[in-house]
Amino acid sequence: MATVSFRHATRTYPRTERPAVDALDLDVADGEFLVLVGPSGCGKSTSLRMLAGLEEVDSGAILIGGRDVTDEPPKSRDIAMVFQNYALYPHKTVEANMGFALKLAHVPKAEIARRVSEAAKILDLEPLLQRRPRALSGGQRQRVAMGRAIVRDPQVFLMDEPLSNLDAKLRVQTRTQIAALVQRLGTTTVYVTHDQVEAMTMGDRVAVLKDGVLQQCAAPKTLYDCPVNVFVAGFIGSPAMNILTGQVVDGGVRLGSAVLPVPRDHLVRASGGSGRVTLGFRPEAIELAGPGDGLPVVVTVVEQLGSDAYLYSKLAGESTEDPLNPSDVVIRCDARQAVEPGRTVWLRVRENCLHLFDPATGLRVAS
Amino acid sequence: MATIIPVHVDLPEARPGPSRRRGRGGRTSSAGPLTYLLLIVTTLVSIFPLYWTLVAGSHTNNEIASTPPPFLPSADLFENFALALEQAPIGTAIVNSVIVAGCVTIGTVLCCTLAGFAFAKLKFRGNGFLLALVIGTMMVPTQLAIIPLFILIAKLQWVNELQAVVLPTLVSAFGVFFMRQYLVQALPDELLEAGRVDGASTIRIFWSIVVPIARPAMAVLGMLTFLTAWNDFFWPIIALTTENPTVQVALAGLGTGYVPQRSIIMAGTVLGTLPVLVVFVVLGRQIVGGIMQGAVKG
Amino acid sequence: MTIASDNPRVAALAAPLSGQDPDSRAAPRRRRSRLTRNLWGYAYVAPFFVLFACFSLYPFVYTAWVSLHDTSLSNIDAAQWVGLSNYQKLLHSDFFWNAARNTLTIGIISTVPQLCMALGLAHLLNYVLRGRTFLRVAMLMPYATSIAAATLVFAQLFGRDYGLINTGLEAIGFDPVNWEGGRWSSQIAISVIVTWRWTGYNALIYLAAMQAIPNDLYEAATLDGASRWQQFLHVTIPSLRPTILFTVVVSTIGAVQLFGEPLLFAGNGTTTGGASRQYQTLGLLMYNQGWTNFHLGQAAATAWAMFLIILVLVGSYAVIGRLRARAER
Repeated sequence: MATVSFRHATRTYPRTERPAVDALDLDVADGEFLVLVGPSGCGKSTSLRMLAGLEEVDSGAILIGGRDVTDEPPKSRDIAMVFQNYALYPHKTVEANMGFALKLAHVPKAEIARRVSEAAKILDLEPLLQRRPRALSGGQRQRVAMGRAIVRDPQVFLMDEPLSNLDAKLRVQTRTQIAALVQRLGTTTVYVTHDQVEAMTMGDRVAVLKDGVLQQCAAPKTLYDCPVNVFVAGFIGSPAMNILTGQVVDGGVRLGSAVLPVPRDHLVRASGGSGRVTLGFRPEAIELAGPGDGLPVVVTVVEQLGSDAYLYSKLAGESTEDPLNPSDVVIRCDARQAVEPGRTVWLRVRENCLHLFDPATGLRVAS
Repeated sequence: MATIIPVHVDLPEARPGPSRRRGRGGRTSSAGPLTYLLLIVTTLVSIFPLYWTLVAGSHTNNEIASTPPPFLPSADLFENFALALEQAPIGTAIVNSVIVAGCVTIGTVLCCTLAGFAFAKLKFRGNGFLLALVIGTMMVPTQLAIIPLFILIAKLQWVNELQAVVLPTLVSAFGVFFMRQYLVQALPDELLEAGRVDGASTIRIFWSIVVPIARPAMAVLGMLTFLTAWNDFFWPIIALTTENPTVQVALAGLGTGYVPQRSIIMAGTVLGTLPVLVVFVVLGRQIVGGIMQGAVKG
Repeated sequence: MTIASDNPRVAALAAPLSGQDPDSRAAPRRRRSRLTRNLWGYAYVAPFFVLFACFSLYPFVYTAWVSLHDTSLSNIDAAQWVGLSNYQKLLHSDFFWNAARNTLTIGIISTVPQLCMALGLAHLLNYVLRGRTFLRVAMLMPYATSIAAATLVFAQLFGRDYGLINTGLEAIGFDPVNWEGGRWSSQIAISVIVTWRWTGYNALIYLAAMQAIPNDLYEAATLDGASRWQQFLHVTIPSLRPTILFTVVVSTIGAVQLFGEPLLFAGNGTTTGGASRQYQTLGLLMYNQGWTNFHLGQAAATAWAMFLIILVLVGSYAVIGRLRARAER
C-alpha cells in the first residue's frame, strides 16, 4: 500500500502573508502517476517538498501508505526523489551515487551491487558506472538521477521538473521513457512540472495549482474537455483557449460589434442576472465559415506549421495596430485554408465545443 | 562594513560554465614590448631583494660597500650559515615553525569549514548576527587582544610554549568567511536535500557531501593559513623568546642583537626564509590561483 | 485461509480509518520545526566560537577593562581603577600624537602609491602574456617573505655605511642618505618595505576582479568607439570600484597596525622608533608602553584608540561610498 494523501496541508513561508500551499487536499492512489502542474510560484514544488519532508507542514497532515509522516524526517518516509538539477554527488562515481542510499541503510554490499547493476541495465548506464557526473552528458545525468531513485525501490517516487534541463528533443524522448519505466515498475509517482504538455502526456491524473490553491485534479482528457474554471481552461492546451467576455443578445453573444451565434438555452443559465457571459473555445474547435456567416475577425498574423496554420486575429472593428495585444482570437485551421494577414474571416464554434463561465466567479457553468 | 561583504569565491571546480572567451576585446589583446619591459622590471624589483640576501649573506660589510658592489654570492655563504646557526637557534626555530604552522593550518581549516558550512547552508537563530560578528572582528587590530592573552598565558605558564602561539592563531575570521562564500555557491541546496532523502545523518552529510565539495577551497585556505602562520610576527614575539623561538622570533633576535657582520644576519635570513620560499615556488601556481579566487569582487 | 487480517478487504477498510485520524486534528496550528536541523548549526559553529570567545572576544573586553586601570606587567592583580585617566593622559601625550602622525604619514605614503601601482600592474598582467604564471608567482614572492626577513634585508639595503642604495647614490654622484636618521627618509624607507611586500598581492586581487568583468562590456565600448584608455576609465575602473574599496579598507586596517617594520628597521631592538621617535607608529608605541615601560593600562588605552581610529576611517569610507552611490543615482 503506497497511497499518498495531503490533508489540508498548508505551508506559509516565514515573513510572508499568503500561504505557498493553502489547505491542499489530494489523494494519490497506489501505483498512480500524478502530475502537479501550474505556473511558477503556484506551490507545486513546495507541495512535493512537503511530501518529501524537506519543507515544514504548518498545518494539516501528509500520509504515505496510510501512515502519518507529517513530522517524519525524509529518511523515514521511504521515498526517492529526482531533482531538477539531478543533485548527483560530484565526487562519487555513478555506481556510488546510485548505491549511496542503500549503503547508508546498511544493505549488504553484494545486494547493493546487484540492485545497482540491475538498474543500470534498465537505464542503459552500464558502461558509465565508473564515471563521475562531470564526465556525463545532460541526458546521462538525468538517467543516473532516475537510477538512484529506482535502486531504492521506494514506496513513492518524487520528481521535481526532472526534464527541464534537457533540450527540447531529448525532453520529448525522455518523457516517454520515464512514463514507460514508471508504469512498468508500478510505483506511485508524484511529478512536478510547469509544462502542461508534459503533464497531459504523462499523468494518469493531473492536478492544476494556482497561487497555492488546487484548482482541479482530474484525468488529462477531463481537464481538456471540462475545465472547472477560466484558469484551468486557459492553462491546459496549446495554443491557449480563446476566452472572451460579452453581452448576451438575441441569437448569441455580442463580442465587439458582431455577434457569435450561441444556442439560447445555454446562455440563460450562464448569464446569471448580469446579462454578461465568458466564452471559451479552443483554436482547434473553430470552423471557418462563409462570408457573413458567424463572427467576423481580421487576421493579423499567420503562423504556418506545415500541416496546420494558426491565424491570430482581432475582432472586426477593433484597432489592429496595438502591438502588445495583436490578437483576440487564435484559430487553428488547415494549412491550405490560411489567408493573408489583413483579410477578414468569419468563424463558428463547433457543436459542444463551447465552454461557458460565469464572468464574476470564473467558474464553469454546466452545459 | 557592509560594503565589503560581497566576497566572491570562485574556484574552477565550482562552476562548470563555458570557458572565458578570448576575443579581441580591450583586455585580452597581446602584450606589446613596453608591457613586457614594465613587467620584467617589476619582477626584478620583486625578486632582487631576495637575491641580494644571498649576496649580502656571503660578503663582509666592506665588500658590500665597495664600488662596484659584488653581484654574485660567494662560497663564504656556507661558513656564514654556520655562524648564523651559532648566533641564533634557527634549527629549533624551523622545527617550531613547522609545528606551529602545521597545527594552525589543520585546526583553522577544520574549524572554518565547519563554521563556514553552517553559515552558508544551515538556518539557525542568530546566524546573521554571528556572521556579522565574525566579519566585524576582521577590523579589530591584533593589538587589542594581546594584553589579556599575555596575562592569560602568563597565568597558565605557557610563556615560551608553542601552544601559546598555536591556540590564539586558530581564530580566523577570514577563513570562516572564505569558506562560507565558497560553499554558498559551490554546494547546491539540492545536494544536501538529496543526502537527506537518501537517509544520511547530518554528520554523514558533512563528511560525505560537504567536505569533498569544499576540498579545493580547503586546500587554498590551508596554503594561505600556513603562509600567514609561518610569517606571523607580532604575537609570537610577545609569547616566545629566543630560547624557544619560531623563525620570525629568531630572525628578530638576530636582527636586533649585536652582530658585527651584517652578512651573518643575512645568512640567517636566508636560512629562515628558504623553506617557505621553496614551498612557495613549488606550489606557486596554486597559491596565486587561490589568492585570485579568494579575491573580492563586486 | 482463516487469518482475518490478511484479508485485503479488511486492509482496505482499515486504511481510510487510519487516514481519518490526522484529518480530525487539522485545525491550524504552528508546528515547532522538527525537520530543519536548527540546533546543528550551533554544533558546527561551536568549535570556532569557543576559540573565538577565548582568544578574541574575551581579550577585547578585558583590554577595555585594563585600559580603565593602572596596571603594570609585573603586578597584574593589583590593578587600580583610574577611570578614563589613561585615555586623558594619552590625549595629552606628545608621544601619542607623534605616533599617530607617523602612522598616518607612513600609511599614506605606503598605501596610495602601492594601490595605484597594483592597479597598473594588474592592467598589464591582464594582457595575453607569455610566462603568465611565472610573472604572477614572482610578483607574489615578496608576499611570501615574512615581515622580519623583508625588514632585515631592506634595513641592510638602506644601511648608512654599507647599504647598496647609498653605494648606488654615491656612484651616480649623490650624497649618501642617512635613511634611518631622518623623519621623511626613514618613513619613506619603511613605506618602501610595505609597498614591496604588498603590491603584487593587491595586483593579483585587481587582476582577478578585472577578469570577472564580462568581455561584452569591452566589446560594446569598442563598438561605441572608446579608446583603450577610455575603456580603462569607463569600464575597468567602475567595475573594480568594490574591489578597490575592499583593498583600501584592508590596507587601512594593516597600516594602522604597522609594527614589525619600524621595530626591526633600527636594527638595535629599541622600541622608540628611532632616536627622536621619527618613525614610531601606534603599534610600536603600544608595545613600548606595555613591554618596555610595563604600563599595561596605557598600552590598552592605545590599543583601543587604534581600534577607534580604524572604525572611524572605515566608517567614513562607507559613508563616502554611500554618498557617491546616491549621487550617481
